Amino acid sequence: MISQFFVLSQRGDNIVFRDYRGEVPKGSAEIFFRKVKFWKEDGEGDAPPVFNVDGVNYFHVKVAGLLFVATTRVNVSPSLVLELLQRIARVIKDYLGILNEDSLRKNFVLVYELLDEVIDFGYVKTTSTEVLKSYIFNEPIVVDAARLPSLGAAGLFMQGSKRRMPGTAVTKSVVANEPGGRKREEIFVDIIEKISVTFSSSGYILTSEIDGTIQMKSYLSGNPEIRLALNDDLSIGRGGSSIYDYGNSSGSGSVILDDCNFHESVHLDNFDIDRTLALVPPDGEFPVMNYRMTQEFRTPFRINALIEEAGPLKAEVILKVRAEFASSITANTILVQMPLPTYTTRVTFELEPGAVGNTTDFKEANKRLEWGLKKFVGGSEHTLRAKLTFSQESHGNIVKESGPISMTFTIPMYNCSRLQVKYLQIAKKSKTDNPYRWVRYVTQANSYVARL
Amino acid sequence: MSGHDSKYFSTTKKGEIPELKEELNSQYKDKRKDAVKKVIAAMTVGKDVSSLFTDVVNCMQTENLELKKLVYLYLINYAKSQPDLAILAVNTFVKDSQDPNPLIRALAVRTMGCIRVDKITEYLCDPLQRCLKDDDPYVRKTAAICVAKLYDINAELVEDRGFLESLKDLISDNNPMVVANAVAALAEIQDNSNSPIFEITSHTLSKLLTALNECTEWGQVFILDALSRYKAADAREAENIVERVTPRLQHANCAVVLSAVKMILQQMELITSTDVVRNLCKKMAPPLVTLLSAEPEIQYVALRNINLIVQRRPTILAHEIKVFFCKYNDPIYVKMEKLEIMIKLASDRNIDQVLLEFKEYATEVDVDFVRKAVRAIGRCAIKLERAAERCISVLLELIKIKVNYVVQEAIIVIKDIFRRYPNTYESIIATLCESLDTLDEPEAKASMIWIIGEYAERIDNADELLESFLESFPEEPAQVQLQLLTATVKLFLKKPTEGPQQMIQVVLNNATVETDNPDLRDRAYIYWRLLSTDPEAAKDVVLAEKPVITDDSNQLDPSLLDELLANIATLSSVYHKPPEAFVTRVKTTAQKTEDDDYPEGGSETGYSESSAHAADGGVSPTSSSNVPYSAARQPAPAPPSPAAPVPDLLGDLIGLDNNAIVPVDQPATPSGPPLPVVLPASTGQGLQISAQLTQQDGQIYYSLSFENNSQIPLDGFMIQFNKNTFGLAAAGPLQVPQVQPGTSARTLLPMVMFQNLSQGPPSSLLQVAVKNSQQPVWYFNDKASLHVFFTEDGKMERGNFLETWRSLPDSNEVSKDFPDIVVKAEATLDRLPASKMFFIAKRKHANQDVFYFSAKLPRGIPFLIELTTVIGTLGVKCAIKTPSPELAPLFFESLETLLKV
Repeated sequence: MISQFFVLSQRGDNIVFRDYRGEVPKGSAEIFFRKVKFWKEDGEGDAPPVFNVDGVNYFHVKVAGLLFVATTRVNVSPSLVLELLQRIARVIKDYLGILNEDSLRKNFVLVYELLDEVIDFGYVKTTSTEVLKSYIFNEPIVVDAARLPSLGAAGLFMQGSKRRMPGTAVTKSVVANEPGGRKREEIFVDIIEKISVTFSSSGYILTSEIDGTIQMKSYLSGNPEIRLALNDDLSIGRGGSSIYDYGNSSGSGSVILDDCNFHESVHLDNFDIDRTLALVPPDGEFPVMNYRMTQEFRTPFRINALIEEAGPLKAEVILKVRAEFASSITANTILVQMPLPTYTTRVTFELEPGAVGNTTDFKEANKRLEWGLKKFVGGSEHTLRAKLTFSQESHGNIVKESGPISMTFTIPMYNCSRLQVKYLQIAKKSKTDNPYRWVRYVTQANSYVARL
Repeated sequence: MSGHDSKYFSTTKKGEIPELKEELNSQYKDKRKDAVKKVIAAMTVGKDVSSLFTDVVNCMQTENLELKKLVYLYLINYAKSQPDLAILAVNTFVKDSQDPNPLIRALAVRTMGCIRVDKITEYLCDPLQRCLKDDDPYVRKTAAICVAKLYDINAELVEDRGFLESLKDLISDNNPMVVANAVAALAEIQDNSNSPIFEITSHTLSKLLTALNECTEWGQVFILDALSRYKAADAREAENIVERVTPRLQHANCAVVLSAVKMILQQMELITSTDVVRNLCKKMAPPLVTLLSAEPEIQYVALRNINLIVQRRPTILAHEIKVFFCKYNDPIYVKMEKLEIMIKLASDRNIDQVLLEFKEYATEVDVDFVRKAVRAIGRCAIKLERAAERCISVLLELIKIKVNYVVQEAIIVIKDIFRRYPNTYESIIATLCESLDTLDEPEAKASMIWIIGEYAERIDNADELLESFLESFPEEPAQVQLQLLTATVKLFLKKPTEGPQQMIQVVLNNATVETDNPDLRDRAYIYWRLLSTDPEAAKDVVLAEKPVITDDSNQLDPSLLDELLANIATLSSVYHKPPEAFVTRVKTTAQKTEDDDYPEGGSETGYSESSAHAADGGVSPTSSSNVPYSAARQPAPAPPSPAAPVPDLLGDLIGLDNNAIVPVDQPATPSGPPLPVVLPASTGQGLQISAQLTQQDGQIYYSLSFENNSQIPLDGFMIQFNKNTFGLAAAGPLQVPQVQPGTSARTLLPMVMFQNLSQGPPSSLLQVAVKNSQQPVWYFNDKASLHVFFTEDGKMERGNFLETWRSLPDSNEVSKDFPDIVVKAEATLDRLPASKMFFIAKRKHANQDVFYFSAKLPRGIPFLIELTTVIGTLGVKCAIKTPSPELAPLFFESLETLLKV
């Protein structure tokens, strides 16, 4: 069980503080913040999420730039506490619509009420927004989301796809009523895939992995049952074959997951027969299913780098990136980064003629080249040339002292695993109004790296 | 509701408190609610709004749940500081606990449990009794947790009122969440109790396994953690349990998965069928790997646990090494843990892939990570013989990039590789020597020097290389000095030419005369002695074949690993420390500890008890424990001659016949506990004096022991004391007989007080001079602890104590915190009276225990002592009142030594 819970801002201000057991001395928030801030003398490097100072154990997670912290004196389950901290953040977000310092401060009475219902004497009671609804009496004061930078999955969809998506939908509170007192009947099902790929220097794929989530957020009234149908040919488990000999299944079209798990509300009665998930979605945002896949997949981008020495104190880097997905799809917010040798002093860039929405930068402090692209249309290719100047001779080590090249991007309406929601059925004896159903796909880079 | 809550934070020009008071007493409900919100807002930012207690409590009687909750929140916060007013709320609580609305019933019993005021606790029992049997499961599950709260406040009350039985009944409740909470409460109570309260039988087991399938994710964790303490009767039962638990591995909540893994691992120990075990390992792998897709914080916890699991069952993840490859954007704490697991899973089959990864990591930006990656390559080389050569070639590639810290780290691991595979890879020494002048870290330097010394015969210019280090010998850190010393000796033994001979003289001189480091000096003297007596023997010793090292891969000790595996999915498994190493929560029912042992002062003299000689009385021969070899020898069977000479190893280095070193072990027979050494033999030319002030039957003595480690008999002892705070002086002459070499004498010198008073601030310092007829005068410092002087008649009657306390002005009160002292009630009570601090009374005040003691100094100076401890935390606060407050620092000094045992 935990002793205290608190939320600190990035500057270390106490936004929320609740002591459940009175066994940890008062100054714990300051002790914690100092420890985290100066974990290494230089202020760099993250503190581990669990540590002990003077007999007090501190747990923390970072959510939306805020530090969610719990303390305890006893030998608790650390995964329980860390998971709990994540869930508290999610519940608060469900209630407030948007989670940030401002919304927390504006709703502190509600937040304290929530905390008292979520935790009693340090024990978790419930973190289900649905269950909490019957015990919570305060109403949220919704912060205007439009002016705020968007966060998390919601943010992903708002970029670049404004026409199709009602941007505010996912930042609205689960409990608050819309102006006019009526809630819009809608449900969001998001298939979010984070992909990690490592290319060897010769362009060969060393590792590739997809971490996927089917996330749901329901604003339906009357708690109807939902049925989600996935690919018929979906199979789970690599059947004892090792990770080293995957590849034989690629091209056959079937989707093979290494492992998956489900939210507790999901009934799997028909899953083995027709790959459908049945559930009565509780209020609030929650993952219906998490899955993991190492089956070979088509990587969305290919990265090519060429480094040429041009005299003892000069070199040229040529970066080529090709989008390997269909031209109907456009990736956005692409950033390519490449560490350069420490003795690099100056970099000049040369973009393709007619390039738009490109940014280039040389980060002097950590000697990093950064190339940003607003949009990247499927099937296209972009090139960047960079001329480097060195302060000392490189002794032929440029390649060893540069890279690897890493890339971040977001590709809406695209998923690498080919896992699909074939249909989304709402069992509702509805009269006239048909609820809005949003099934959205997005692929994001987790660790997308090309070695030199 | 109107506007934003943040408006409650804004202050008004008028006095805030009176304005709030007015609003709290408003006739309008909404205004009152807003006012309470403002009060709570002020409370959360740390303002003191306790003066509004009555006004807020008046708002408690309301049907409005929102308002009620706010008032309760306020109550929990301030009840402790206003215990008398808090009692006003009791009636409402009791009434609410019978409200038709289950939410109000639960709220009342939940809040009452959070108010840690004794008077309220009494009223809590009846409502709690009722709520434990409530019709509504929400009320029952809240009441279950409340029992744990009550146990924390008053354990006896819980036992007396039969709450434990009610709680156990709830294990059979038809609502799984009630079961889960009852389990959580019982587990906590068991943790804080020494008697068996919560024991899982096969009957409860089946109930809990049923509830497991139905309750919420958090309840599942409570139940799994409680069940992990259950020891299955046989393999069949273990298999049954595992079968019921395995579906939990599919849960989206990482805590559930990890607790299920713990449970399965534990039952697996009992399962004999290899097929079943293999199958279970296969089932556990994917969920464990999936934990690594969670947030980095959870990944870290999972990795620390996996580290333990693969040490016991390496097969589970043997084929999954790829998932532990570091991602570019992993936080550093995740990367470090992944690296550790990669080393553990590295095998001949995957080493090429692994090396490719390590090599890549070794060129990253984070210095700590790079170092660890380089070290990882070395560890793989040591672990996998067939891959050693590949590992070395990767290390050489890295050295060629000439990044300073990479080179240094590589040299450190290469030294270990040489130890692991002697006479195999020495061809690379030349490459290593190229980097010699860039080394600036002690460990790297020491490693390089070791390599040069070890392979001196193969390095043509070994003498030149070593010589380059010698100039800076005095400035080098000890680690490097030691290696330089050994390497030079090796060089000399291998190449006994003129150059090395000169070097060895410089080194030995530096390492004996010019150094303060005893380790270095000892080693140098041993080499010196060896070289001067028998160079061939020196070769046998110094150039002996070294045992081949093995890969440790940070393996844990098997018994510790067992304990940690039993603690999978707890903090213990993250810190890799047993729970008692970091859990400092002081148990409310502390066991009585054996505290009659004497303080360990002066234990370095190494006495051994021997009843056969106990009758010898006051003066008895003791072994000269300064003779280095004696510790390892058995006591000599025959009584040795008391005049046996004690050879001084360091006295005469050259030309001493080795046969002359005859151990003179004699069973030691101290008459009483060892005394602290005040004058070590090294200072006293072989005379060691141990001494301590003591009090016996009201008389103060200076207890002294003289131990003669010199070669001559000593006699004619005299003693004198410098002026001191207590005016201590010898009451008679020091009576010590002649002390033969190798023996010791003990005496009790009666002392008087107030003879020899010093001026100035009080101090415990006691300066003593001792002389004898053979040696110069020895001066030493001792400490006069205040408690030695406390008199027998220091006990006060309670009434007298109170009166004296009141009669002394507040300026005579001094207090001090001792943050790291743990006070166990009984132990403290027992220990202090032995030092004539007498127990007066104990008081419980909220979560504090307060103890009162009295003591008296000669001439009737009383000390009134108050010790305060907060239950569940470390540290003690001491306040004293005395007519002589200037003695307070001495008192605290004394108290600290008494309590810190």
